[in-house]
Amino acid sequence: MSAPSAPKEFLTRAVQLFVLVSLFVVLLAATRVVPVLDSRAGTITAIGFLLITGTLTSELVEVVGLPHLSGYLLAGVLAGPHVFHIIEHKAVEDLSTVNALALALIAMEGGAQLRVEAIQKGLRGLGYATLAQTTIVLLISGAVFAAARPLLPFLAPLSPLALAGVALIWGALSVSRSPSATLGILSQTRASGPIAQSTVTFVMSSNVVVAVLVAAVFVVARPMIDPSASLSLREVKRLGYDLLASVAIGTTLGLVLAAYIRVVGKQLILVFVALGFGLTAMLHYLRFDPLLTFMVAGFTVQNLSRQGPRLLESIAHTGSVVYVVFFATAGAHVDLPLLRELWPVALLLCGARAGSTWLASRVASRAAGDPPAVRTWGWSGLVAQAGLTLGVMTVVERDFPSFGAGFRALVLSTVAINELAGPVLFKLALDRSGESATGPHPSLSSLSERCAPPSSAES
Amino acid sequence: MSAIWVLMGLLLLSYLGSFLFGSHRIRGIGLPSGAEYVVLGYVVGPDVLGMLERTTLHDFDPIAHVALGWLMFVVGATYGTTRGRRVPGRRLVVGWIVTLFTGVLVGGAVWLLLPLVAASLRPVDRVLIAGGVGAAGAETTRYAVRWVVERHHAAGPVSELIGELAEGDDLVPLLAVAAFFTIRPADLVVPVSQAGLVGITIGVGVLLGAVAAALLGRTFRIAETWGVLIGVLLLAVGIAERLELATVSTSFVLGATLSRLCPHRDAVAAILAPTERPVMLPALLLAGAHIDFGAAPYLPAVVALALAARVAGKALVGLGLSRVFRAARPAGPRLGLGLLPAGALSMSVGLAFALRFRDAAGAVVLASSAVITLFGEFVGPVSLRSALARAGEISDEAPASSARGAEA
Repeated sequence: MSAPSAPKEFLTRAVQLFVLVSLFVVLLAATRVVPVLDSRAGTITAIGFLLITGTLTSELVEVVGLPHLSGYLLAGVLAGPHVFHIIEHKAVEDLSTVNALALALIAMEGGAQLRVEAIQKGLRGLGYATLAQTTIVLLISGAVFAAARPLLPFLAPLSPLALAGVALIWGALSVSRSPSATLGILSQTRASGPIAQSTVTFVMSSNVVVAVLVAAVFVVARPMIDPSASLSLREVKRLGYDLLASVAIGTTLGLVLAAYIRVVGKQLILVFVALGFGLTAMLHYLRFDPLLTFMVAGFTVQNLSRQGPRLLESIAHTGSVVYVVFFATAGAHVDLPLLRELWPVALLLCGARAGSTWLASRVASRAAGDPPAVRTWGWSGLVAQAGLTLGVMTVVERDFPSFGAGFRALVLSTVAINELAGPVLFKLALDRSGESATGPHPSLSSLSERCAPPSSAES
Repeated sequence: MSAIWVLMGLLLLSYLGSFLFGSHRIRGIGLPSGAEYVVLGYVVGPDVLGMLERTTLHDFDPIAHVALGWLMFVVGATYGTTRGRRVPGRRLVVGWIVTLFTGVLVGGAVWLLLPLVAASLRPVDRVLIAGGVGAAGAETTRYAVRWVVERHHAAGPVSELIGELAEGDDLVPLLAVAAFFTIRPADLVVPVSQAGLVGITIGVGVLLGAVAAALLGRTFRIAETWGVLIGVLLLAVGIAERLELATVSTSFVLGATLSRLCPHRDAVAAILAPTERPVMLPALLLAGAHIDFGAAPYLPAVVALALAARVAGKALVGLGLSRVFRAARPAGPRLGLGLLPAGALSMSVGLAFALRFRDAAGAVVLASSAVITLFGEFVGPVSLRSALARAGEISDEAPASSARGAEA
């Protein structure tokens, strides 16, 4: 991740473009020479290729003011199975294992970004925003979804009551945001100010709100969609247990991490890798929520110890790898043929979601008396969408097979649009409001100057 | 044992390794070659305790490939330098000759032995085994030399000579591996000659090294450096693996090219050096777990002869060095036995063969590497210390037995 406005000479861009094109050509040739390959070699190649091309594309799109995340996504889309087919479907699926690590780090960083003082200070605004975003976005998005029924063949067989139930689920899904996109943009821009603070606070806390909301909506919507089902609070009860357990494990993990950083303080990257893979596997086995657990761990380190800055610094070192792989993989996941088929209705639903998000933001800001910058741009960081939405989509597809496949296709299409547009909007807002940092990032040249040759260091 | 537990175990080793190695100096904990981790891997592997099953090991092949690639990448990036200064070209050439001589002697002995103990062996396998064992038995690990020099505070022309030879001898075996891996080529859509495949092995490393140097040489920021380094390495390993070429050779060339072309080579080396030990220990454990002494009936004979040939080869090298270099004369021919320690490179070559050739050929090369490494561990450092003492480069004081002593 780099400073947004560091001017670079033409030659640098030319070299980057040349290298990017060369890599695509070389890999295209390699895939043609060895069409059938060991999938494990494909996965290794995919990660390496996405890292390099994602980094290069992000540097190149910076010229036109686009965020690095857009570059990562674009590299993934181009390399993915639907364009140049350099990365195979299987490799894309395998990369989800690596993404478990990325998500753990992103969640931990998100938690560590939340400071109790900041939450207390903006509690009024957070409360209004949560209320307004939840109700207004849910209702408007759900209503537009129901109104778009003629454009959605998979809704045709549903009764009006069932349609209302599905629309309710769609509305609840629309409330979800993307912590990874928010943190990715903040990591690139190093922004600080009311927009950055209010967005990160809202997006991270909304994760919990949306989990509860989705569970509650499922309780109500299930009997509406399936008349044989009865109203049951079992899922809410289970969610309550899960949330409590995740918070408990996260707090314990956070305290242990804080103690480790204080006492040992070395090799944090290795510790993160072990936690990202090991603990995530354990939490999945126990059916707890890894995202919430790691978020609470980060929050605990930040607010119950003095090790927060060191935790954030260590996680930031992984940013150049974690965000690139995560978003480039997301790009490779984008199903372009499906998007080509559904884009009109997907665009309509995305527009409704963005519009209702803007409206909710204005209402909440006015009620809370937020600063002008938040009133104007507060909505911009809430457009990106991923993660939790896709998780809920899988549950809908499994529980309601009659319309699950169509619902899934629509979710994938809208998430793709939101994921592409959201980061651009958020970065634009941070740049326009002057919250993006303008100082240069430390360069390798500066390290070279500081790094005395080992001979002199050892003599 | 499930894959996740194995992964946790490897990460734990990696974690321990990070504490055993700081910057450019080796601490006084553990054996210089890391041979104990090879033994540990063998003990927990399928041959002894069976805690690591073959199927689980197979699941970790990508990690093994990447670990080997990373090790050789670091070796390449720091190739031809010792304690921050470049090894003189003449010494590098001497190092190549010495390694080539030992490798040819070991490989040649195995080549001559094979028809006697394995009459039905295919010619291609004979070449592979002889070549692989020769490549694995050629080097002197720089860790052992550094370990002895640092632990006993050795200083003088002989220590310098041995250090420079050990730092420069990696090139020959890795180029040989690149050639041997093309003997049984992959099924490619476009037929490529063996020479062409060797060219691709080296060319991919050079190309990606140049790419990394171009990217890091411009105005890239520190935060992006890791992305570029990991990216080019994975890409190199992935492409080489896809074409069934030698990933260790490609990665070495990648590191060497980056080091030659990047204006920030010192910074890159400073970033990479601390990662070597944390990657090495899990790789050695995996190598140990892959060892299969029962893979072929002729394996013990090959291993024994390879070991004998290596001892003879290094002794002759010691004799030669003591004749050619005046400063080495007091050390005498025993100096050659001080060059016996093998380590990461030998085991990497062995594991690379075992991963690529999943039959007796790969198993024999890996088993030979392991025995050569273990034997070198027992004989090498003691002989080197003795030779340096005879050369008057080690004082009579007790060695620095602790990490602190070595670091001081």
